[in-house]
Parts: sequence; C-alpha cells; structure tokens
Amino acid sequence: MKVLALIYGNEEKWAALTPAESEAVYDKHRAFAAVAAAKLVTGAELASTSAATTVRVREGQTVVTDGPFAETKEVLGGFYLLDCDSLEEAAELASRLAEAETGAIELRVGREEEAA
Amino acid sequence: MKYLFLLNNSAEQWDEWRSLSRAERHERREESLPRWNDLFGWMSEQGIDVSGLELEDPANARVVRVQDGETLVTDGPYVETKELLGGYFLADCKDLDQAIELAERVPVADKGSVEIRPLVTH
Repeated sequence: MKVLALIYGNEEKWAALTPAESEAVYDKHRAFAAVAAAKLVTGAELASTSAATTVRVREGQTVVTDGPFAETKEVLGGFYLLDCDSLEEAAELASRLAEAETGAIELRVGREEEAA
Repeated sequence: MKYLFLLNNSAEQWDEWRSLSRAERHERREESLPRWNDLFGWMSEQGIDVSGLELEDPANARVVRVQDGETLVTDGPYVETKELLGGYFLADCKDLDQAIELAERVPVADKGSVEIRPLVTH
C-alpha cells in the first residue's frame, strides 16, 4: 500500500534552529532514508509557506492568493511517499523522523485502483 | 522548478463523498474523468513531468508522534481545517505562472483549492 507521510511542524522553530541543530535533523532524515530505503518511493522538503500560492476557481474565475490555504501554527514542511505492507509499518518508520518528536507525522493511505 | 500541488477538497465534499454508495462513487469518477484527462493531456503537451497520488478519506488518517521515546499513534487528520487534502501532484514546471496554470486546470480547484508549494533543492 502507498502511504503518504506528511511532516508537520512549527515553521518559526525550524527557522530558529542553529546550523548544528539543523544538521542533526537532516542526519535523522538520512538515517530514516537508509532504514526505509526499500520502502521509500519519493520525498521532498518544501520551501517556507511564505512561498506558497493557493489557487481556486469560482464561477469560472481563477482566484490566486499568496500563502497556504489555511493559516495554522503547524505547517507542512515536507513529505515522504512510502510503499509499505501496512499502516503499522509506515508508523514505525515515521517514528524515526526528528519531526515526530517536535511536531507530528500524518499518515494518509493512497487509493488503490479498484478492480473493474 | 519543482512544485508540490496539494489538492484540497472542502469538508462538505468529503461528507458528501462518504454518503455515496460504491456505484455512485464510480459514476462520479466516470463523470469527472474527461476533465482529469484534459489536465493530463495539457501537462503532456507542455512537457511537464508529473507524479501524484489520490488519497483515501482523511478520516482514516493516523498521526504519529514521539514523546519521551514513546511512539503515540492517534486517529484522524493532524490539522482540522475546512479543506482537507485529497491528493497531490509533484510536477516540474517552468515557473510559478505555469504552476498556477496547472493548478487552475485541476478539477478540485472548483470547489476546494490547490496549494502550490515550491520544493527546496539542496
């Protein structure tokens, strides 16, 4: 099953990390990637939400706004796409991320194509 | 430039979707297929390299936290918002203008929203 692991945290705290603290977070990501290698499909780090753009179409008109669709303290900072045997396995892998300690990892199951 | 496109459906749309039978859901998918195909056709014409995933109901989400070395797994989406993630695209676009053009072609933009987030490259 495909599981999307969404990495949430406090952007201000991320920005305030010292280079050494930041490096420790990346070290944990590298360790995660090594352990999860066989299950890891893709992943990415996102630029700050100040660089986000939200697009809506209402009555045929495109409305473009700067910023994320919801103003929340905890924001999406990155993600991994995992191909796991179970949600439990995905949770075990996710628990290895530094952000599981300082923020949270949300796991979302991908839709399986239904047999015709 | 690589962008993550977060396809958000409104909470009302999710509620409605939950009320549909399997056959009705299938019908809805069939109805919306031409628009999705138009989008994929357009991306292909533009030479946009894309991957993505449709997600199951956010009600089935799990949240993983680690506190004092203990892993805590709870149910439900992490953030309670009026719009909830229903899928994503990861695409390489020329610039933000092209990303916006892509976003407005996503059927989800009509009732929900498409949030564009640039990726960090190391």
